[in-house]
Amino acid sequence: MVQPPEIEAELLAFLRREVFAPQVALTSETDLIAAGFDSLSLVRMLVFVETTYGLWIPESEITGTTLRNVRSLAALVSRLLHER
Amino acid sequence: MNLTELLDSTASRWPQKPALIEESAIVSYAELVEKVAAWTAQLESFRLAPGCRVGLCYPNSINYVALTFALWRINAVVVPVPTECTQEELFTIAETLHLEAMLSQRPLAESTSLQSDCFFTLLAPARKPDNHGLNLAFVRFTSGTTSARKGVVLCHETVRDRVLAANKALRIGPEDTVMWCLPMSHHFLITIVLYLSQGATIVLARHVLARAFLETVNRWRGTVLYATPFQYSMLARDNSGTNLPSVRLAVSTTCALPQDVAEDFLKRFGFPLVQALGVIELGLVSLNFDDPLRRWNSVGRPLADHHLRIIAPDEEGCGEVVISGPGMFDAYAAPWLPREKVLRDGWFHTGDIGRVDEEGFLFLVGRKTAVINLAGRKVFPEEIESVLNRHPSVRESRVYGRVHAHLGEVVEADVVLNDPRADLDSIRELCRSSLAPYKIPSRLHVVSGLPRTAATGKIRRAAAVA
Repeated sequence: MVQPPEIEAELLAFLRREVFAPQVALTSETDLIAAGFDSLSLVRMLVFVETTYGLWIPESEITGTTLRNVRSLAALVSRLLHER
Repeated sequence: MNLTELLDSTASRWPQKPALIEESAIVSYAELVEKVAAWTAQLESFRLAPGCRVGLCYPNSINYVALTFALWRINAVVVPVPTECTQEELFTIAETLHLEAMLSQRPLAESTSLQSDCFFTLLAPARKPDNHGLNLAFVRFTSGTTSARKGVVLCHETVRDRVLAANKALRIGPEDTVMWCLPMSHHFLITIVLYLSQGATIVLARHVLARAFLETVNRWRGTVLYATPFQYSMLARDNSGTNLPSVRLAVSTTCALPQDVAEDFLKRFGFPLVQALGVIELGLVSLNFDDPLRRWNSVGRPLADHHLRIIAPDEEGCGEVVISGPGMFDAYAAPWLPREKVLRDGWFHTGDIGRVDEEGFLFLVGRKTAVINLAGRKVFPEEIESVLNRHPSVRESRVYGRVHAHLGEVVEADVVLNDPRADLDSIRELCRSSLAPYKIPSRLHVVSGLPRTAATGKIRRAAAVA
């Protein structure tokens, strides 16, 4: 089973590489929406999680709490993987 | 005729009415016209010739709207360049459409700063574009095959005609407040221009979290929503209990509405989503105002001034959808091909496959072309294949859409490698440097060969893979 720190590292690498511009110094605590995470970023993040972990995050799980930063997002993915 | 006249006319009727709202900034029609005038004065200093084509690479904002109208004010032709484009894509658009200048949020080489977040760059096109004597307002770049025509050309009069035709159905008026959450670089004419021509208020609302969006709609008493099925699916699964009492119309556009989203939205908010069909070459073609409850999966009847036919229908009545009506595009830009040479007996062949029921409702069932639709963003397989094929380890490739329950389709690719030990990460890296992020295949499948058609040996394309 993948552990939250691994998920966090993978999400962080993906978001740095493919979603945020290099000038955004993204960390696990950066407020995603304030940093410019938009609707298309969300679509791409969902596809990344699906192709990497075989998990589709249900729309009802995407809230201000789970999408706050990379750490909360990794915790969500980890929880959903455990619940399967 | 110039499209700025539509804005001026609204501003003289309702000068104090809010035109655009962005977070806490409220800009009235009179103030919007002043903003346009200020940008116009700045742009005039560059002495661009009338009819020159200027790229606009700028995010959704009040400035985006003002810059577009300012460009029209100096008789420039607006060419939207999506902000997600890579540098390589931006210069491809500039080169293909012979852009003479670019307005962008970030400086390119040798840019002049107009404002801290707006830069003007003079480009030196290899040759001056020929507008063939037309009163051009807008060219939308479309990346198709290498041989396909790129850029849909629209005159000021054409845009006005499609706006008027569309509003016979949408009935937008000064009492409306439209919640805006789509990218302006992809949607502007039969939306933003239409709303401003009718005196409506546009609220620029970010749509990432359902609850925040719902709160924004209610804060400004939004009456019209215009969004993608994926955005509606987020709203439908919100469990805050917030209702939308002020909304009179929620249009779902850009890709097919999944049944569960239609049902869940209706159950959650008590009113149905209305599907619409828009085509770049034609504008808004149909809207399902009449029966969104029973025929939730129809894009509706054609608009009052439009005509629609299904040609060569099969035994189930399905065939290619062809359409004629006001505001049809004027030409393709590169290479230049006037509308008359594209239409067949006055009809535009959409490439969509559909059927029309006994009461005139259109149902789309597929398409003839291989274009991929990722949550409303169009992706052309040939464009991505041409990038993949540039990699030294790739012998050939085939890009296709895989049917996805939540997003319509996702982009995937089959690649045939020269060297079985080739590094897939370096292929992904090439994609990242050359393609806007949403075009990058989410999966690369290494295969030993590609399916080909028996007759011509061309790579066989599937419309979408299940």
